Amino acid sequence: MSTKKLTLLALFTTLSLALYAAESAIPPLVPLPGIKLGLANIITLILLRHFSVRDAAVVLSARVALSALLFGQALSLLYSLAGGFFSLLVMALVMKLLRRKLLFLTGAMGGLAHNTAQLLTALAVTSTPGVLAYLPFLVLSGVSTGLFTGLCAQLAGRYLLPYLPKKYTPPPES
Amino acid sequence: MEQKKAYTKNAIVLSVFLAIICLCSLLALILPAEKGNSYIADIYQDGALIMSLPLQEEEDRVFTITGENGCRNQVEIRSGSIGICWADCPDKLCVGQGFIKDSRLPITCLPNRLVIQLRPTADSHKDAPDPDIITH
Repeated sequence: MSTKKLTLLALFTTLSLALYAAESAIPPLVPLPGIKLGLANIITLILLRHFSVRDAAVVLSARVALSALLFGQALSLLYSLAGGFFSLLVMALVMKLLRRKLLFLTGAMGGLAHNTAQLLTALAVTSTPGVLAYLPFLVLSGVSTGLFTGLCAQLAGRYLLPYLPKKYTPPPES
Repeated sequence: MEQKKAYTKNAIVLSVFLAIICLCSLLALILPAEKGNSYIADIYQDGALIMSLPLQEEEDRVFTITGENGCRNQVEIRSGSIGICWADCPDKLCVGQGFIKDSRLPITCLPNRLVIQLRPTADSHKDAPDPDIITH
């Protein structure tokens, strides 16, 4: 890994950690576990689009580990890991299917995958099937916040593009 | 051109998939649940049923549920409804979920792995209310 890339990835980790911290300062709008904006997902989307799946996975792992150390409890680490990596997998696949375009669709699929994985984790942790009653809420919130973060990533990418090394920029949009 | 077609098709398929999922969720939220006249509150911790309280018959009271690792939730029963009024969990989302009396949505405290769920009492599944009077 070149120094330049290392620095860039470290910068992105810091950014996603800052977004995560800013988000946890917002009081929950709906008092249901698992419903939040997922702002840190913007960084994952940007990395998936302009860098590679591997780089996105590296930054995601660093962010999850650091956030658990700084603000977390052991349990939230489990939820972050399950949700984060499953949505990363789904988003990488969708990004490929859509040729790195229409980022809001990728975001929506990622949000959906994230919330589904977290609910399944909750099911495993509480081993009470009753928590499945939250599924409709989590699906709707995952898709809508995913659309939002996807749009953010798309717009941010446009302004970020000129500052990224040529190697990392995707083919021009049609 | 061929490539562009492929991704447009994928985009349409994905959009339709997302739309269907969202519609199903909305329907699940809007459609009425199985209604009963009275409910039993089942309290689960770590997946094990630890208490079953018939809400209509319980008196108003506050009690504490202590988990295996010492985590605590104070549960309150107040005129036929149940809720968590205090907890030592970090996020307090369970307290924010308020009191329920006929909700199909359970109250969940994820950090303390506590779930309070309502089910209609077995003999209260009637669609029509009981007749006021029967004459012969």
